[in-house]
Amino acid sequence: MSTVPKRVFTRRRLLNTGVTAAVVLPGLSGALKAQAREVVLYNWDSYIDPETIPAFQEETGIRVRYDLFASNDELFAKLRAGNPGYDVVFPSNDWVARMIAADMLMPLDHDRIPNLANIMPRFMDPRHDPGRAHSVPYFWGTVGLGYRKSVASPTSWGVIYTDGTHAGRIAVQREIDTLLAGLKYLGYSINTTDPDEIEDAVQLLLQAKAGFKTFAPDTGQDLLLSREVDLALEYNGDVLQVMQEDDDLSFVVPEEGTILWEDDMVVPRGAPHVEEAHAFIDFVHDAENNARIAEWVMYPTPNAAAKELLPQEIIGNPAIFPPDAVLDRSEFALYQGEEIQQMRNDAMTRVLAG
Amino acid sequence: MLRRGPPPGPLDYSRRWWLRAWLALTFVFLYAPIAILVLFSFNDSRRNIVWQGFTLDYYVKAANNVSLLEAFSNSLVIAALSTVISVVLGGLLALALYRFRFPGRPAVEAANQLPIVVPEICMGVALLVFFAEVGWPRGLPWPLSLSNIVAGHVAFSFPFVAVVVRARLAGFDRAQEEASRDLGASEWQTFRRVTLPYMRPGLIAGGLLAMTLSLDDFVITFFTSGPDTLTFPVKVYSMVRFGATPEVNAASTVLIAITIALTVVAMRLQAPPKAGG
Amino acid sequence: MQSWREQPAAFFVFILPATLWLLAFFLIPLALIWVISFGERVGPVDIAFTWTSANYLDALDPLYLKLFWRSLWIAAVATAVVLVVAFPVAFAIAFAPPRAKPLLLLLVVLPFWTNMLIRTYAMLAVLRGNGYLNWTLEGLWEATRLLLTPIGLGWLTGERFVPLELLYNNTAVVFGIVYVYLPFMVLPLYASLERLDRSLLEASLDLGASQLRTFLAVVVPMARPGIVSGLMLVFIPAIGTFLISDLLGGPDSQLLGNIIERQFKAANNWPLGAAMSFLLLYVAFALLLVRAWLGARGLRDA
Repeated sequence: MSTVPKRVFTRRRLLNTGVTAAVVLPGLSGALKAQAREVVLYNWDSYIDPETIPAFQEETGIRVRYDLFASNDELFAKLRAGNPGYDVVFPSNDWVARMIAADMLMPLDHDRIPNLANIMPRFMDPRHDPGRAHSVPYFWGTVGLGYRKSVASPTSWGVIYTDGTHAGRIAVQREIDTLLAGLKYLGYSINTTDPDEIEDAVQLLLQAKAGFKTFAPDTGQDLLLSREVDLALEYNGDVLQVMQEDDDLSFVVPEEGTILWEDDMVVPRGAPHVEEAHAFIDFVHDAENNARIAEWVMYPTPNAAAKELLPQEIIGNPAIFPPDAVLDRSEFALYQGEEIQQMRNDAMTRVLAG
Repeated sequence: MLRRGPPPGPLDYSRRWWLRAWLALTFVFLYAPIAILVLFSFNDSRRNIVWQGFTLDYYVKAANNVSLLEAFSNSLVIAALSTVISVVLGGLLALALYRFRFPGRPAVEAANQLPIVVPEICMGVALLVFFAEVGWPRGLPWPLSLSNIVAGHVAFSFPFVAVVVRARLAGFDRAQEEASRDLGASEWQTFRRVTLPYMRPGLIAGGLLAMTLSLDDFVITFFTSGPDTLTFPVKVYSMVRFGATPEVNAASTVLIAITIALTVVAMRLQAPPKAGG
Repeated sequence: MQSWREQPAAFFVFILPATLWLLAFFLIPLALIWVISFGERVGPVDIAFTWTSANYLDALDPLYLKLFWRSLWIAAVATAVVLVVAFPVAFAIAFAPPRAKPLLLLLVVLPFWTNMLIRTYAMLAVLRGNGYLNWTLEGLWEATRLLLTPIGLGWLTGERFVPLELLYNNTAVVFGIVYVYLPFMVLPLYASLERLDRSLLEASLDLGASQLRTFLAVVVPMARPGIVSGLMLVFIPAIGTFLISDLLGGPDSQLLGNIIERQFKAANNWPLGAAMSFLLLYVAFALLLVRAWLGARGLRDA
């Protein structure tokens, strides 16, 4: 399954220059490998501000190499045959748990990450990685409904699953979040292991299917912007991005609550530069560094010291930091072993193929 | 019918209006999205959705985007190597299948077409597992670091070349080769002067297909690439989902412009190739 | 055709490079997946090789067979359209002035040297409800109405313009396949039409056959190897396509390729994905074998 958070440019800035300035042409990299200390990152595109990597290289003398992936399932499929040389990768919560279960991650040495003290206590003992033995949180966020204000004002998931007034103007996700949101609408936990409850959600979706325009491969925000749909089940950051271009667009987390996600920094087994990986993770959670990244990527940070430094317009934006009432009704998706994952995936496959 | 100049002769198909119209319509069909792609490279918006205004910013950004340029040059090198190797392997294979009778021939022919059939994702995962199992060396200096990607691309490209060249050879009259030998030419001279020129349109067509396959492939590239080998499709796939597309449009536009310019120059410099064999 | 024994050196030089490459970078990797298709998952990554047939039985689920049938059907329709569109194009290029040929050929493949995803986004901008095609059609509709209204025929155009729904359905998927696979039909057709002997056409026309009759009796038979190759290069890959149906399809456009991709990625079920891939391969291999065997027989008879 996948909870695929989207990385965003939320404002018109120089794209990528920082990241790319750090990338040395591959021809040089081989020759330099022996002498230089380096760290190899495997991240989502545009998921770090342009200044952090040059600053890290400046401060530590560690050279950064950077490669990109586009979804958790691709990342997992690629790493499960063995680590081809990455030091820090950025998977989401349930995939972190799956990687831990598969013994693909190295335990972290907390002594080498003193800035862990900046992390909010409620992020320090998550169910997907008790005690943070293998992962450090990077950013987190929500799934909700992006919508066109002039024609829709959703408050419940029902608007896409049962309501019918927007039939044919709805985009949902091809990934499992569509099913999980259905569970939420029915009042079940997204982590239910009860086959009957999952079956209820499948039936709900099969009935609602005629009203969907498409199962989008995380392009719902584009469909909103091009007026192909009026409602899209999407990640907060994605919708935030198109909201910058069109004032008539907005984002809401429905009242039933939603799916939360969190991306972590982890060190895969076989990483060639473990020490440098720890140094990078620590650097990211320095309060000032983290605030700078957070302001740029516009996702809620788990770093308490950094949040202090953020401007009010970010902290106060409900599309970035959801209100506590919403959080209380929301859940992180859990990894509960392959059998449960398979049951949920088969359910989603039946929805897609049915 | 067009009434400019004398009316076309019965075999002057290139001057028949309906054939020209069909060709023109097909090119409109093929190039409408490309025109939009080029147009949006000048669009003052981060996304390829709504026209916001004219800008050249994305060309500047693309030119300054080191990782985009690195990905771009990696992809061109991979495509060039893969095309050359595929044309050689595919051409030779087509000759073997055209010329020789040998035990198990249908099986060999069918096996060589399997890469056309296999779902991309399956082949990508197969190569991923394979390169991990055999311990293909990592961290090689460029361009050897591209070797596993090239190996994969050739494996799914050369069968396309072979099929096209086979179709071409089906009409070859081997009496021409015999005539050449009778006139005292060696085996190699006969191949160079008679067989190869006849194969050429097939080799060109097959090479163009191989180049297209390599440049457009994402899945197999993703699964065979390592931390040192960012390629254009992988970069684009991770970029477009987050809205940095016009830079990619700009880079693609430059590639199209360069290709057309080079072709026109090559056509000017080169004597026109002879039609047919 | 001669026996390989007559020229063993040439035979091996011709056949070994491709076959060895195929063996090393295709058949052996694929054999690993073949083994996985008989495996059983134990844990998130590990696969126990139990030689179970459970994956194949799972792959024959009626739900997947329905998708297989849908994929075959869509691929067949798209392939037919590609053939109809591509034949005149290949014909025109084959008969174009020699100097223009390379440029025309290049123009056929050039769109595909841009990135598939970017190109598809551009295609969406053309085809969507308020896209450029509908925009053009609406302009035409307005113009027609302006012309017809003064002569009392304005009612013919209807009350208002209804944009065409061109995206997010199976027609859009067919359209996408036609676009992407057009060069895979044009190029083999060109390669075989290019050798067309003009004197045969002249003879046919001189003997009083019509252009159409000449086309059917002379051109098509001579182009047959190209047609067969083109059909193969389009139809078979089109069955396994998944990106096109992802990007252009609607809620009922999932194809076999999508489900196979899901098993390898989101569902993390490699054994099932492997079994599905191999079932598809067996069907296709059987078709290829029949074709190769028929081809060999045809050549022997000739």
